[in-house]
Amino acid sequence: MFQKTLAFRIFFTVSAILIGCFVFLPLLWLINTALKPSDQTFSLYFFFGPLTLDNIISIITDRTIMTYLKNSLIVSFLSSFFATLVSAFAGYSFSKFRYKGRKLIMGAFMMSQAFPQAILLLSIYLMMQKLGLLGSYWSLLISYVVFTLPVGTWTLKGYFDALPDSLIESAKIDGAGNLKIMRKIIFPMAVPGMISIAIYGFVWSWNDLLYSMTLVTDPSRRTLAPGLVMTYLGEASTNWAAMMSASIVAAIPVTIIFVFLQRYFIAGLTSGAVKE
Amino acid sequence: MAKIRNNGKLTDGQVGFLLVVPGIAVFIAVILYPFISAILMSFTDRTLLSPSSNGVGFANYRKIFSDPYFLKTVWTTIVFVIFSTLIPFTLGLIWAIVLNQGFRGSEFLRGVTLVNWIIPGTAIGFLWSWIFNGQYGILNGLLISLGIIDSNISFLGQTSTALPCVIIARSWQMLPWYMAFLLGGLQSVPMDRIEAARIDGANNLQVFRYIVIPGMRQIFFLVLILGAIGNLQHFDIPWTMTQGGPARATTTLSLEVYRTAFQNWKLGQAATVGTIWAILLAAFSFVYLKQVKESE
Repeated sequence: MFQKTLAFRIFFTVSAILIGCFVFLPLLWLINTALKPSDQTFSLYFFFGPLTLDNIISIITDRTIMTYLKNSLIVSFLSSFFATLVSAFAGYSFSKFRYKGRKLIMGAFMMSQAFPQAILLLSIYLMMQKLGLLGSYWSLLISYVVFTLPVGTWTLKGYFDALPDSLIESAKIDGAGNLKIMRKIIFPMAVPGMISIAIYGFVWSWNDLLYSMTLVTDPSRRTLAPGLVMTYLGEASTNWAAMMSASIVAAIPVTIIFVFLQRYFIAGLTSGAVKE
Repeated sequence: MAKIRNNGKLTDGQVGFLLVVPGIAVFIAVILYPFISAILMSFTDRTLLSPSSNGVGFANYRKIFSDPYFLKTVWTTIVFVIFSTLIPFTLGLIWAIVLNQGFRGSEFLRGVTLVNWIIPGTAIGFLWSWIFNGQYGILNGLLISLGIIDSNISFLGQTSTALPCVIIARSWQMLPWYMAFLLGGLQSVPMDRIEAARIDGANNLQVFRYIVIPGMRQIFFLVLILGAIGNLQHFDIPWTMTQGGPARATTTLSLEVYRTAFQNWKLGQAATVGTIWAILLAAFSFVYLKQVKESE
């Protein structure tokens, strides 16, 4: 795209070094702090010096934090599953069916990410309190589905749009019902899109702090993000080595998913807004 | 769903509508109903302490607009949104141009960059609190050993530096997101147009100015609007780093709503702040929707 003139080479090198440092050094510093023995936390050496896994081990043997982790896994898996299913139904509906109000519903779904989340939380909190759901995962599961819905519906609609109507027509002539068509023909074709959406939903709920901090009042059901905030922010003297180790533990599940499913991940990230 | 299977007489339109019913149900439960009821709540003195409340008309609104802190919160939000959108956008664009050169390892770097974006905001808040720490933070350590400062600076403890620090942390988190979009955009710029311009003697800057930028105008617009909406909503990083302090220097509207409602228990007042904020957001969203419609 650009000719490798001297000016471009200088621009390239300077930007690569400066932005590269900004992007990568902080994360390395996090890992570095977590790996230092706790009496060395305040010394400034960068990996070259005594290193240990003790901090990380003490996090993964911490019962409370592991309970938070387990809760996060349950909530994220379930909400990601529900969100993908609901988005797939809606995406298929928007793509292949025509009915009154379709455009209006599409617009409403599209907008749902733009409603200020903190204000919705006020009434959701009261509603969940009234329903007695504040001590359960349900309040989070229901809330998280909605935040995947716009991206999910749009992405999957794109996949379904690419399927020729004749495919559905001929299946109908062969006597297949709507459910069978969806299960055997439509959904299998959209598997890559569904994986993207499932990942998106998983990461969204894994990382959420605001809703999980407010809607889960039962400590035994608390998820990881609010759990860590409540564990470490109230402390008088901050244990930085433990905080960095806990951050690594919190980042591992999403990072693993990302490493193995990077292709789907990037598709899911960009498909929400960019349409081919 | 059993209804669809058993009754072959449902029209296609009815089937289509049934399919979106689950989506509509959660939309009403988590978006529409809470939104309307929050707006109604903003005209009451509802608190978290008692389930009863009285209508107070516009009293909450009058109170908020005469509160000097509220205007400061709006201003902090605007500053936060503008810088947390433009900084990572610019750096993300440059980073995308660098990675788009396709050198050895550029694919790998692109992947590693995205890790910053997927790890929890809580972890990012912890990390940057540690970097900016006033006593033992690495930034103070670096600046002192380079001789730039003489004594430690309490970056997150003083009002003049807290907001910039939070903006830097947020920019660090979002840079990969912009990079991913913009890299996609760069790759969709038509190469034949660039080659044609080269034949006409265009240099790098001219190619960038007259072909790349116009070719990516739509995607620039989309990421900026989506990024700004995301920043208007943002909560995790300022909350983890400073809880909105010191002296409210990093309190944005989302933190203000949370604090008023769940720390001071004043739901009615929180709903008022939220409603005003929603109007701000709606302006952005409207522009976004219009753009999406045009691109259809």
